[in-house]
Amino acid sequence: MLRIEDLKVSFEGEHILRGIDLEVADGECLAIIGESGAGKTTLGLSIMGLLNGNTRGRIALGEMDILSLSEEELRQIRWNRIAMAFQSSQNRLNPTHRILDQVAEPLIAHGQSGKAQARERAAELLGKAGLAPEKFSHYPHELSGGEQQRVLIAMSLVSDPELLILDEPISSLDAGSRMEMMGFLRLAISGRTTLLVTHDLSTAAKLASRTATLYGGRIVELGPTDKVFSIPRHPYTRALLRSYPNMTTMKDLQGIKGRMDRRVTGCAFHPRCTQAISICREQIPTLSNHDGRMVACHRGGIIPALSANNLIKSFGALKAVDGVSLTLEHGETLALVGQSGSGKTTLARMISGILDPDTGEVFLERSKSDQQGKDFHRTVQLVFQNPGEALSHRLTVIEAVREPLEIQGIGTREEREEMTRKAIAEVELPTNKEFLEEYPHHLSGGELQRVNIARALVLNPKVLIADEPTAFLDSSIQAKVLKLLMNLQENRGLSMLFITHDIAVARKISDRIAVMKEGRIVETGPASQVVTNPYHPYTQSLLKAASELHSNIEGPD
Amino acid sequence: MLTKQNLITYLVALGIILTLNFLLPRMMPGDPLMAIYGDEALVQMSPQLKAELTERFALDQSLGSQFVSYWAALFRGDLGYSYSYNAPVTEVIFGRLHWTLLLGGLALILSTALGVLLGIESGWRRGRRIDSGMLSGMVGLSGFPDFFLGILLLLLFAVNLELLPLFGAEDAYSGLSGIERLIDIGEHLLLPLMALTLARITGAYLLTRNTMIGVLKEPYILLARAKGLKPRTIKYRHAGRNSMLPVMTRTGIWVGRMVTGVLFVEVVFAYPGIGLMTYDALTFRDYPVLQGLLLISALCVLGANFIVDLLYQKVDPRVSYAR
Amino acid sequence: MHVDPKKEVAKSRGGQIGLALLLIVLLMAIFAPLLSGYDPLAQTVNSFESPCWAHPLGTNHAGQDIWSQLVYGARTSLLVGLLVAVLSTVLAALIGTSAALIGGVYDRVVMRLVDAFIVMPIIILLILLSVYVDPNLGSGAVIGIEILIGIVIIGMLFYMVRSLGWIGLLIVGPIIVLVILSRDLLPGTGGLIIILSLLCWQGGARTLRAQALSLKEKSHIAAAHGFGAGTWYIMRRHIMPDLGPLLVADFVFSVRRAVFLQAGLAFLGIGDPNVVSWGSMINDAREWIFLDAWRWWLVPAGVALSITIIAITLIGSALESALDPRLRGEVSAQN
Repeated sequence: MLRIEDLKVSFEGEHILRGIDLEVADGECLAIIGESGAGKTTLGLSIMGLLNGNTRGRIALGEMDILSLSEEELRQIRWNRIAMAFQSSQNRLNPTHRILDQVAEPLIAHGQSGKAQARERAAELLGKAGLAPEKFSHYPHELSGGEQQRVLIAMSLVSDPELLILDEPISSLDAGSRMEMMGFLRLAISGRTTLLVTHDLSTAAKLASRTATLYGGRIVELGPTDKVFSIPRHPYTRALLRSYPNMTTMKDLQGIKGRMDRRVTGCAFHPRCTQAISICREQIPTLSNHDGRMVACHRGGIIPALSANNLIKSFGALKAVDGVSLTLEHGETLALVGQSGSGKTTLARMISGILDPDTGEVFLERSKSDQQGKDFHRTVQLVFQNPGEALSHRLTVIEAVREPLEIQGIGTREEREEMTRKAIAEVELPTNKEFLEEYPHHLSGGELQRVNIARALVLNPKVLIADEPTAFLDSSIQAKVLKLLMNLQENRGLSMLFITHDIAVARKISDRIAVMKEGRIVETGPASQVVTNPYHPYTQSLLKAASELHSNIEGPD
Repeated sequence: MLTKQNLITYLVALGIILTLNFLLPRMMPGDPLMAIYGDEALVQMSPQLKAELTERFALDQSLGSQFVSYWAALFRGDLGYSYSYNAPVTEVIFGRLHWTLLLGGLALILSTALGVLLGIESGWRRGRRIDSGMLSGMVGLSGFPDFFLGILLLLLFAVNLELLPLFGAEDAYSGLSGIERLIDIGEHLLLPLMALTLARITGAYLLTRNTMIGVLKEPYILLARAKGLKPRTIKYRHAGRNSMLPVMTRTGIWVGRMVTGVLFVEVVFAYPGIGLMTYDALTFRDYPVLQGLLLISALCVLGANFIVDLLYQKVDPRVSYAR
Repeated sequence: MHVDPKKEVAKSRGGQIGLALLLIVLLMAIFAPLLSGYDPLAQTVNSFESPCWAHPLGTNHAGQDIWSQLVYGARTSLLVGLLVAVLSTVLAALIGTSAALIGGVYDRVVMRLVDAFIVMPIIILLILLSVYVDPNLGSGAVIGIEILIGIVIIGMLFYMVRSLGWIGLLIVGPIIVLVILSRDLLPGTGGLIIILSLLCWQGGARTLRAQALSLKEKSHIAAAHGFGAGTWYIMRRHIMPDLGPLLVADFVFSVRRAVFLQAGLAFLGIGDPNVVSWGSMINDAREWIFLDAWRWWLVPAGVALSITIIAITLIGSALESALDPRLRGEVSAQN
């Protein structure tokens, strides 16, 4: 069993690992995921006692504390008990020795077997790793990067180590070879204590039973692999999943705002986090159990930015919204899909505080909100369906966008001017004098909607409710506005409730989809699941309608 | 590695030397015979010899036919006649070449081997006292010109301590033979060899040390450590071996530089190789010998480069692949 | 590659020692008339005087003051070393970068020539040339060489000051002073300077070509091509400034080589006998090795020569390790 306690590693004052606690049970495969520079490889090397930097804490393999061993004692256990499949890179293999010799070398060096036997074993593993036999006696430069990776994997297994560290084992392989190698790796690690270090989520999903997310030198989330990947609880894990191209989600890729900075105080992720509060800047969160998942987050993982509880609204005899509860999490896009008349707009207006519900409550984060307060409007903003109607024809562009600031009484004149221009620039509109002094009737539909969005953004809201924002736009303009909304969501970390009748649009931009029919939500789930595997007949019919549209475009049968 | 490119290089080098040898004396004003042999030689030459030489090299004819007979003579191995030795140039040079090959060859092998060895040890201990001590020592050593180093050694061991012979390659007329003669030759060789080796060691040392430092940062060294190999194995088998490669490619150039060193050291120790012969020929204005020496030493250098090229292929597997 | 050579050299211990030593030799050369009481060639008193108050290092076989010869010898060594380095570095830069930029047949022909010269036994070639080429130049040739050197040095001044700032002036300034002070040496050494320059540029051309080739692959140069820039423009605006540190290193090693070769040739007795130099002092003293005179005659000359070369080597290796990223700071983290 491998147990790591409070492992801290620094190089020349730069802290790479800042306190890692991990346990890998015998025979288990644990994956460490994270972007490059997170310290994944450093972790692997520190377990082998190969770091020259300042290393503190405890790494125990069985009863033995690796960090307290002398160099000679370390030498004895390296490749004997712990082996590592290094990531293939330029000059990873010694250019002047033959492949087979390099693979067999550890066996001979540790006296585990004779020369001939070692070579035999090396040849066997190289073969299993998929290297053509005629290449065994080649030199490294005669092999492709993928072949060198196979050599490195075979090499890591040659002495049958009790602990195996895999560092990006298949990242340099092409898709076909990956499949093949995955089979071999599965066999190789079964029953072996394995630490898999990778930025490739699919490798982790296929090989590891548990997964830990590493960020800024700390573990921010740890749990069973399938759970972590289907319902990530730390905002960073979700962001990683969101930016990983795969076949299960339909949504366009989104990055993570900002970049990793090792020098931040408090939670390392807070500058990029959408739900950061003051404590996140001051204190380092510890990895602790939140509803069965280990998460290092002051807020206990991803929390709802906004939630509605049992909202009901009737207009006379018509029950427009009939007991809707829904949750919009921080930094996510939730699409509310339904036909016209299903109560979507009513729901949106109640959530945004424009319309009072008959019964039911709206919560901001976890506290009940006062929907009349100015704070509420600073946090939640609405983008309307008809851009022309939503703007007063008497106000110029700049006046319209500035209006919320004036209503809220924010800043001095100059500051308002500055904020207004920034918001207009952010929605990719010109900020020259001519444009700013245009009246709405001179603008195109796309421009009008952008002005609307700028006006919603000028107060720096956390939640944006977009009610069919593209319904009045033709499709090429619609695509541009959707892209803009996604970029804004990524850059500002907005939580967005996107209301649409078009499920095709929903699946491209949303993390989750809620389907609404006759004032009720009939189905809700991750976008990929709702689109590929809907259970409610109404959702199925919506999808069918959408796909029928497709076959119509392609031509009549 | 031997490539077409290198072959062309050698041919060009040879061509330049041959052209200079042919043109330099013939560009001088006046009688070409006088320009080739110098006026002192002409005074001592018999008319028959003059006539024979003029005819052999077509010196009374046009430059074109002179060129033809120059080449014809070259192919016969005829480099002209030395008046101060009273013998054909080829004979004179080959009579002494072995001493130079012995001294220069040994010095090259010793200085390269020692330099590489010390470079590996020094680079392995980078930044430690032994490394910085060795580094400063080597840089200091490289500042001493061959001839000054030779004179210092001569003054110390031969003049003051009187441990070793002052000059020559062996005791003339001693009648020694067998083992005793070998010891005598060794005693004479020791000081010039030391001077040359010390003066030339820095190149190999610095290059190996610097390469070693770079190699130790290569990913395959980390892998070798991860494999749990013994430090010795890493130092020699993985790092040292690869640190020698650049030295191999430079050996060819060092052969050329060695000629300079041999020349000076032979002069200082009156060691009877072709270096001393060059000096004597310069003193006696024996131009044909000088020309022959240039050609022969160039051939030696090119030959050595050729051999190095062939060997390099065996040491670095990447080379045969790269082109 | 962005390396600030002045900082790197000044930072390294070896570089500091080298600069200090070289400064001493340079001051010795510049203030030679003030430091010595005699004309180095004038026969003052008797031969083989032992060191005394009037002659700190005694006198030589011709009754010349050895201390004066030692001091003036610095002039010869530095003048030849620096001028050869200036000329050969300019040649190396022009030929190396043009070969890299023009490529094709020109590149191949030039590089074969360069390689041919690199493997040639230069010293024997020099001896042979010295036999046929009259070392004493006519006044016309001297003026020609002076003009050439003047042009090159002024060009170098501009380049150094532009790429290195004030430190460029510090490098070029003393050279100019030295050349002006030692003009009387030019008739005796001009031919040697030209020949050495012609034989010393090849190694530099090779490294500069390699560097220029890798620079050429950089996209900012491709971008300049894309804007329609010509070869000369690119060489002037993009390649040459980036080659700065490498040029300085090449320059330093050329100085070293030229000082070496000049001393060696003088040691062999080749060259103008009226030019006082450390090499010829060693050569003269060698004849009288059985007298005690070698202690204050041969050894000081050899030590002065060695110190000069060591100083240049120290500066050169400080530069070299500054230029070689592998030899600089340790790799910080392995990620």
